[in-house]
Amino acid sequence: MNWLVRTFSCSVAKKQFMAVTGLAFCLFLTSHLIGNLFVYGGKDAFNAYVEHLHALGVLIHIAEAGLIVFALIHIGTALILYFQNLAARPVRYKKKSNAGGRTLASATMPYTGLFILVFIVVHLVSMKFADHSTLSTFDVTAGVFAKPAYLAFYIVSMVVVAFHVNHGFWSAFQSFGASHPKYMPIVRGFGILFSLIVGAGFGLIPIAFNMIS
Amino acid sequence: MEEKFINLTLKVWRQKLGEKKGKIETYQAKNISTDASFLEMLDIVNDDLTIKGIEPIAFDHDCREGICGMCGQVVNGYAHGEEKGTTLCQLHMRRFKDGDTVFVEPFRAKAFKVVKDLVVDRSAFDKIIQAGGYITAKAGGAPDANNLPVTYETCELAMNGAECIGCGACVAACPNASAMLFVGAKISHLALLPQGRPEAAKRALAMVRTMDSCGFGNCSNERECEASCPKNIEITNIARLNREFLSAGVCSTAM
Amino acid sequence: MQLNSNVPSGPLEGKWDRYKFDLKKVNPANKRKFEVIVVGTGLAGGSAAATMADLGYHVKNFCIQDTPRRAHSIAAQGGINAAKNYPGDGDSVYNLFYDTIKGGDYRAREANVYRLAQNANAIIDHCVATGVPFAREYGGLHANRSFGGAQVSRTFYARGQTGQQLLLGVYGQLSRQIGLGGVEMYARRDILDIVIVDGCARGVICRNLVTGEIERHSAHAVVLATGGYDNVYFLSTSGMHSNVSACWAAYKKGAAFANPCYTQIHPTCITVHGDYQSKLTLMSESLRNDGRIWVPKKAGDNRSPEQIPENERDYYLERKYPSFGNLVPRDVASRNAKMACDEGRGVGNTGLAVYLDFTEAIQRDGEDVIRAKYGNLFQMYDKIQDEDPYKVPMKIYPAIHYVMGGTWVDYNLMTTRNGLFCLGGANFSDHGANRLGASALMQGLSDGYFVLPYTIGGYLATQSLTDVDTSHQAFKDSETQLNEKLNKLMNINGKRTVDDIHKELGHYMWEYCGMARNDAGLKEGIQKISALREEFWQNVNVTGSSKDFNQTLEKGYRLADYLEFGELLARDALTREESCGGHFREESQTEENEAKRDDENFCHVAAWEYAGEGKTPILNKEPLVFESVKLTQRSYK
Ligand SMILES: Cc1cc2nc3c(=O)[nH]c(=O)nc-3n(C[C@H](O)[C@H](O)[C@H](O)COP(=O)(O)OP(=O)(O)OC[C@H]3O[C@@H](n4cnc5c(N)ncnc54)[C@H](O)[C@@H]3O)c2cc1C
Ligand code: HEM
Ligand code: SF4
Ligand code: FES
Repeated sequence: MNWLVRTFSCSVAKKQFMAVTGLAFCLFLTSHLIGNLFVYGGKDAFNAYVEHLHALGVLIHIAEAGLIVFALIHIGTALILYFQNLAARPVRYKKKSNAGGRTLASATMPYTGLFILVFIVVHLVSMKFADHSTLSTFDVTAGVFAKPAYLAFYIVSMVVVAFHVNHGFWSAFQSFGASHPKYMPIVRGFGILFSLIVGAGFGLIPIAFNMIS
Repeated sequence: MEEKFINLTLKVWRQKLGEKKGKIETYQAKNISTDASFLEMLDIVNDDLTIKGIEPIAFDHDCREGICGMCGQVVNGYAHGEEKGTTLCQLHMRRFKDGDTVFVEPFRAKAFKVVKDLVVDRSAFDKIIQAGGYITAKAGGAPDANNLPVTYETCELAMNGAECIGCGACVAACPNASAMLFVGAKISHLALLPQGRPEAAKRALAMVRTMDSCGFGNCSNERECEASCPKNIEITNIARLNREFLSAGVCSTAM
Repeated sequence: MQLNSNVPSGPLEGKWDRYKFDLKKVNPANKRKFEVIVVGTGLAGGSAAATMADLGYHVKNFCIQDTPRRAHSIAAQGGINAAKNYPGDGDSVYNLFYDTIKGGDYRAREANVYRLAQNANAIIDHCVATGVPFAREYGGLHANRSFGGAQVSRTFYARGQTGQQLLLGVYGQLSRQIGLGGVEMYARRDILDIVIVDGCARGVICRNLVTGEIERHSAHAVVLATGGYDNVYFLSTSGMHSNVSACWAAYKKGAAFANPCYTQIHPTCITVHGDYQSKLTLMSESLRNDGRIWVPKKAGDNRSPEQIPENERDYYLERKYPSFGNLVPRDVASRNAKMACDEGRGVGNTGLAVYLDFTEAIQRDGEDVIRAKYGNLFQMYDKIQDEDPYKVPMKIYPAIHYVMGGTWVDYNLMTTRNGLFCLGGANFSDHGANRLGASALMQGLSDGYFVLPYTIGGYLATQSLTDVDTSHQAFKDSETQLNEKLNKLMNINGKRTVDDIHKELGHYMWEYCGMARNDAGLKEGIQKISALREEFWQNVNVTGSSKDFNQTLEKGYRLADYLEFGELLARDALTREESCGGHFREESQTEENEAKRDDENFCHVAAWEYAGEGKTPILNKEPLVFESVKLTQRSYK
């Protein structure tokens, strides 16, 4: 099994772990967004969707467990990569310029990532682990979104997620070596589109909540 | 463009042999022809320093025509200077303006120790190649060169990787000091050719492992390497390396 | 001095095979007991080191650059010859041999050249097997192009970077052996002396270029593959570290130096622009496949090129040499460029340039085709000259590009010093008085992959070499002498920089020993060089310390050797009172100003023997015997 450790601990493998987990999150974001769209159907439609989701029972727990494992891998690997990369250049340049490859999104991955982590914690605490005994999920959510500070934090977070995914999406394909002269432009275009959809899609949800309630 | 003569202020990194620290010194480059190359400008400054009894600035160079890969400095924050697709020895002073202040620093990475002033030790690249950047073949046992047809397109792609001059600018420019473009270029060159296939899996694993052990950073797909590479090596070579690594690690019998 | 070429007897075609059979061999187990020092990691040194290590010898390999991959072979652009006859234009080994010996103006050793032509095909096969991506046709087979001095297409190429790709192939093989432990690599080292024990080369003294430490290394044989001495002219297409020092040390230790005056001026180089200039850049000969060379018909015509109508242009090579046209050998093309400029028909600011024009080729094939063939060269030109050669004809002029002369070697590639071998650009062997394009790469790889690994076995198998280690007195003496020389250099503290003196030397060399030479000029040149040498030892300024990374010191000791060697070069040119190939004596020309050989008196190799400090060197002659070809006045009309 030595080969397993030797292979999986390589820099390239680490990137590929980032890529699988990152793309899995993208899938999660997609399904989460589709679900949240029920809010546009009104309060009852939304609550019915939540009902339906909970009815999946053990399946939903498996999915949650999967997400947690993936999150641990994604975050853990991100930390290792970050510190290794820092150590790879112990003496910094007095003057360093951007040669034209870096984008704001690519340069800020660790920071946008960290921001997302904070967001996820806040999000889970205020939504998932809030007291659901008396209120429906819609009401819990609407209550949270009614607070201007949270609303702002949420929207900013969605912009941050959009940035993270903007670089992350195509980057994951690159990390797998899925680069082809015919398809790579499509992947890159889709990545940008996807980040816009995620940013705008999630960003508008609280506004919808506020309008409906 | 007409030849002109310009004056520059240089901020040059000076570091003595065997010492861990260095500092920026300021020198004047006077009356430099815009037709001179950047290294010729340094020659003039060095001659001037010598006459003044100051030790000239040490820097690496040999062919001075952009092919040996020996030259390389970070000029104003750009590896090999700002001009695209150009080695430092091919960068001409017509790219600078009279009165400019120019920062000149060595390539910086943990894997590239500074030897002296602007000279760094890039032997880590040799170690990576020694780990597998070759095709095993005895002199004398080869079949006729035309026995293995290679399509025109494949040959061009292989050549695109093979053009790497091993200068290390990709490492210098990478925010993470990663060597993936260099390694990707070599892996691509050999993996694309039918002659290179028999050892492809072993090669990919060995080269990546050696690269890691030399202390280079990890690739974040920031593309600064591609933007700084004097030979315009593309990151599709890194993608090919990732693919080769994946299939070697997961599918091949190579350990 | 005894000059025995050791050329085997018998018919030309079978000499090498028979010779290999007759050579004593070292059995595989015994090879491990032998250590060989190889100086140089270019095509010649690198391939020899890798192949010997593969055979089982223990090899120590040295180079000046920080890694073996940067030897100046990397800079070769155009291509490498082989008589594969892939294009089906009737090529053969004999044809390649004949072109090469004729191109060299019949001043090379027949048997060596034939062996070179024979090995060429195996070189291509091996290079392809090691991953060299030579250009291919759409069908997947290899493409060829034409080079000067040949009427067939036999040149294999990899874009405009053939040397790079070949060297990276060699570097791969070498790296593999370094990884396996067969080769111990010593980069950033300068070999400054050869150590002789009991008449045999048994080691080297080198300077560690990083620490300045003097190191000793012993072995059973020493191989020099240090490239050419072009930089005696200061400006050349060679790398900045090109030197004669190792060969010069060998010369002083008994290895005769052959034909130093055979230097090659390449017709198509980017023109000189200022005195700050540090080197010249070649525009590959392959460009003459598609580019047409011309000057205005009228002297002093300074209209821009597009304003000069077709009938007022003189495509002088096509006019004078209809059968070879723009693809005449280099010496012929260079001399004609000089003549045109001497007549006042040169172009550009200095009047020291001729046009190399691609307009017709671009119209015929389209810009894309031309870009695919020569893109990197055009780009290089644009960077240096700041002019787009797709639109404006290139301005080019001849420049020092290659030296045919070098350390004398026999058929085994062994010098006149036992156990000391010399390969590639550093030896004198295969190109006679002029080298045809695309044949130096061939020679380097032939020597390193396919000749030395066998012949060195013949040497080692027949010697009874005692064990020698670096504590031997000979090593101590060498080291002491070297230290004295370095200290002397460090302590002059004069007023002139090394480069400044080197430029002056280059000026004399170009002026008196350049494209055209004559008796009076050469004599004057010798005097000037020797006076400059005196001044050097009084007035040079080498800063810093010798126990440090000190590039000024490096340049200083290289120049010290060039200042001695330059004189030998001029002396050789003075004694060779004939014109041949790249050596053009004004006194010896045909009515059409072509080089006129004097086969009666000069059909020999001039091998110079060191006679001691300050003494005139001794001239030894190796007669050249031609069994297969008939000597004729070269004609490319
Ligand atoms: C610009 C250019 C273009 C060319 N184009 C072509 C072409 O298209 N076709 C062709 O056939 N030929 C061409 N040539 C010629 C050909 O490239 C060279 O003749 C050939 O590559 C020489 O190879 P080499 O191995 O002998 O020497 P090099 O490649 O020069 O290697 C010399 C080696 O010796 C080492 N060395 C030197 N001195 C010392 C010392 N004192 N101590 C330690 N190490 C030392 C160096 O570090 C280096 O490793 C070209 C040459 C030039 C300059
Ligand atoms: C919604 C949640 C998230 C999604 C959709 C996501 C997605 C992605 C994707 C697709 C990548 C690209 C992988 C690759 O280049 O191979 C990536 C990289 C990265 N992610 Fe995330 N991520 C998320 C959360 C996080 C969190 C919580 C962190 C950290 C705390 C984080 C840190 C990083 C870092 C640092 C990288 C760059 C790694 C590198 O290239 O070196 N991400 N992410
Ligand atoms: S990939 Fe480009 S930048 Fe990196 S070493 Fe090769 S040539 Fe230099
Ligand atoms: S000196 Fe050779 S690439 Fe710049």
